[in-house]
Amino acid sequence: MSDRVKIGITINGAPHEGEAPARMLLVDYIRDVVGLKGTRYGCDTSNCGSCTIVMDGKSAKSCTFLAVQAHGRELTTIEGLAEGSELHPLQAAFQEAHALQCGFCTSGMVMSAHALLSQNSDPSPDEIREGIIGNLCRCTGYVPVIEAVQLAARRLDPKGGNP
Amino acid sequence: MSAAPRPPLVGTPVMRKEDPDILRGQARYTFDIDLPDMLHVAVYRSPAAHARIRKVDLSRALELPGVVAGLTGEQVRQLGYVNPLSPFPFQSRDPFKRGNPTIKFFDHYCLAYDKVRFVGEPVAAVVATDRYIAEDALDLVEVELDPLPPVVDSAAALEPGSERLYEDWDDNVMLTFRVSGGDVDAAFDEADVVVKETIHSGRFTGTPIETRAVVADYDASVKTLSLWTTTQIGHAIGTLVENTIGLPGLKVHVNFRRIGGGYGQKWAFYPEEILVPLLSILTHRPMKWVETRREHMTGTIHAREQTHHIEAAVRRDGTILGVRDRIVANIGAAYPTGGLASIVTTGMFVPGAYQIANYEGQVQGVVTNKTPYGAHRGFGKSEACFVIERMVDRIAANLDLDPVDVRRRNFIPPDAFPYRSVTGPRYDSGRYGEALDKALELLDRDHWRNVKKEAAAEGRYLGIGTCLVIEPSSSTRMGSYNAGYYSVRMRMDPNGKVYVFPGGSDEGQGHATSISQLVGDELQVSFDDVMVVEGDSLACPYGSGSYSSRFSVVGTTAVTMAARALREKLTQIASVMLRHPPGGLEYADGKVSVEGRPEQAVSVSEVARVAYFYPFQLPEGMDPGLELLYHFRDPNIEFEADERGRVAMFSSFPYDAEAAVVEVEADTGLLRILKFVSVHDCGNMLNPLIVRGQHVGALAHGFGGALYEELPYSEEGQPMAATFKDYFLPTAMEMPEMVLEHIETPNPFTPGGFKGAGETGTVGPPAVLANAVEDALKPLGIAIRRLPLTPNYLWSLIQEARRSRS
Ligand code: FES
Ligand code: FES
Repeated sequence: MSDRVKIGITINGAPHEGEAPARMLLVDYIRDVVGLKGTRYGCDTSNCGSCTIVMDGKSAKSCTFLAVQAHGRELTTIEGLAEGSELHPLQAAFQEAHALQCGFCTSGMVMSAHALLSQNSDPSPDEIREGIIGNLCRCTGYVPVIEAVQLAARRLDPKGGNP
Repeated sequence: MSAAPRPPLVGTPVMRKEDPDILRGQARYTFDIDLPDMLHVAVYRSPAAHARIRKVDLSRALELPGVVAGLTGEQVRQLGYVNPLSPFPFQSRDPFKRGNPTIKFFDHYCLAYDKVRFVGEPVAAVVATDRYIAEDALDLVEVELDPLPPVVDSAAALEPGSERLYEDWDDNVMLTFRVSGGDVDAAFDEADVVVKETIHSGRFTGTPIETRAVVADYDASVKTLSLWTTTQIGHAIGTLVENTIGLPGLKVHVNFRRIGGGYGQKWAFYPEEILVPLLSILTHRPMKWVETRREHMTGTIHAREQTHHIEAAVRRDGTILGVRDRIVANIGAAYPTGGLASIVTTGMFVPGAYQIANYEGQVQGVVTNKTPYGAHRGFGKSEACFVIERMVDRIAANLDLDPVDVRRRNFIPPDAFPYRSVTGPRYDSGRYGEALDKALELLDRDHWRNVKKEAAAEGRYLGIGTCLVIEPSSSTRMGSYNAGYYSVRMRMDPNGKVYVFPGGSDEGQGHATSISQLVGDELQVSFDDVMVVEGDSLACPYGSGSYSSRFSVVGTTAVTMAARALREKLTQIASVMLRHPPGGLEYADGKVSVEGRPEQAVSVSEVARVAYFYPFQLPEGMDPGLELLYHFRDPNIEFEADERGRVAMFSSFPYDAEAAVVEVEADTGLLRILKFVSVHDCGNMLNPLIVRGQHVGALAHGFGGALYEELPYSEEGQPMAATFKDYFLPTAMEMPEMVLEHIETPNPFTPGGFKGAGETGTVGPPAVLANAVEDALKPLGIAIRRLPLTPNYLWSLIQEARRSRS
């Protein structure tokens, strides 16, 4: 129970060395040890998706991993998207489409969408629905989220360049 | 150069200023608060629905390394200064002089003593250096319970001789309420037909994705409690905490700046809002408790469970002459929640959008061994709408009429507004017939009627449904924390920037954006020069909270009026500076100028500097500075009920016409929405982007409640849905294609003409989908009498119908 383990990860491009109890969940490690509170949790059955991050290029619910399982891996959290004061185009699209209200689900929603777009640069509405099926939102009714992801896909399309 | 006013911000789809912070992951919610030396709380909750507590022993738990303290119900009582949870929303025990409603009360403490009354009721707490250890310690809490017969079903709870939840009551009825108008008996005598139904709305809960959380930090040296809590009623919570923790000299600073969704579930006074502060008081350490989702599903209020025994007296042409409704709400245990107010509201609004002159509603709130019952978006009107809209279709079926014609025949006509309903409320404005016609046009009903016929020929079941939702908003209740006013403090600083401190709070509605639009227009300052500070009981004026879609009605008005008062003061000061009477001055584009002489002008920030730094140049009797407090009270309200229970407690009346086409798969009971239309009227739209967002989000709650979300209990009172694995929220997959349209009938009682915008969507889908399903299954003679419309429910109806036909 009190066994502590050393954990080394790369998070948002920077290395992070830390220590945690072996049983600590990754979501708690990110929030309480690394100190990045943008990743949230909203359930205890891995259903809500608020805790979603990108791990080695794929979306992952950080409440379903132990922190120690992330050792040696590369993580991106919501704090890793924007560069300086500029929002990432996906974040900007969320604002434009009004794809967030209370914002509690938003970090997870954005990270799922980010993972989706990195694998499929031009998803159909149904593919977007599938991409965010693991993210519950009780505010937006999802329609504006789907619109935001479509908007971001258009802008991020390398052939289209910047809008 | 003339001072042309800038294009208005109000009415345009301005992007939200709240968003960048949230999108970067920088926004901080209650559970993000970390304080030095903070301890973590875990709550032991009753595993039994109804039992006498024989023993609660924390000694083994306290031995666990890392555990610092613990507390039981008995210990709370022994402290001597802790009172039962103070009543909410009514601030005293009997504000009803006429004895209608009648309410019984019970003293619940923050931890159960003597008896437990629902699964999930807090029994004991342990405190440890981290949450993991605190939860380990829960396994070491020793509790002995003597089971009592559980009271689960409201009909059984009403039977004479039923086990009682509260032994000093003579039955299980917590509330009775009667409201009536007209001559109901005469209406039934005159009727050609009487249509009788028993209609049931299932238990439902709003499940904000942010569960509840409380952080408390007591500073004994100044007897001040800093409290962070996930609430829609922060100021009230401060008062309720002071009432409940009776420590002399106790003062409370409540922080409720950012809430991850509320929807009514956070409009209640919860035991943890006493428990966590008490633990901080007892240990002199900051304390944090974060609700788990499983705790949330039983420890945070549920809503909507009601059975209606309703009958309608009708003429053969479909005219509704009168309605009687006996409403039994299964309200779980007696906690200080908005539950009682919500079931009274149901009784008031069964007449819905219809001109029904004779009505009698009887409401009973029956306590059971279930989770306490309270508010949810739609607040009692969801259930009323479901029932009356179902009845209209049942009436049509009985008389072989088109339900749309029955609606049209009974609608309150547009020229009847403001319309005094039979139960007392004054409906402000509406064009119900026009909205429904528009919805049918957008649906293309004729086309779908043909499709339906063709499908029927192939043995498929398609149906078309309609409904008209009214969602009265901005409520006021006598003698309650729901006091129907909005407060706002506003300051223009010496540089012309505007700081706004509203008495409410935001759970995601975008108040900062809306306020900046209003202030930007009134004071002609840029959107970015307005800052809104909400949810801090010390910074902001005392306010009654955020609920009942009241911000768009009273909140926007308070902001507008405060800004106008500031502008008036600026103009008066400018009049001295320009040596010109204020009547001949023009206030536009950041300047005050003499009408027709734009070169004679001073900028607003020059005027502001005079207000602060040259107080002796101000007009006689004027206070220095540019800061004021404004209160606006709900218009269109009648505060006190008459002898028949009639009262006007809602201020504005948004509505929504909905139409849908569904297909039901007979072999599985699976329902598919083929088309969905909503024509929504919430008065003028302050920000169409936000209004659309609110409406779509509300509709998602509506679809959830109509089709998926249900909180069943076993006969023993065990909840059968206590996680997101068995309580099904809609995901992105479940949202149908929707056609959304707005019409704008201004609110005649407020300067902006806005009505509440975020709740109608929640109310309609249960009614419109049930109506569509019944239409689809008409060939089988099936009537829909309950929610949700799960495949299981529909399949068993179909099976039964087929059996009885063969
Ligand atoms: S916290 Fe809900 S899925 Fe991870
Ligand atoms: S924005 Fe509130 S839960 Fe998604």
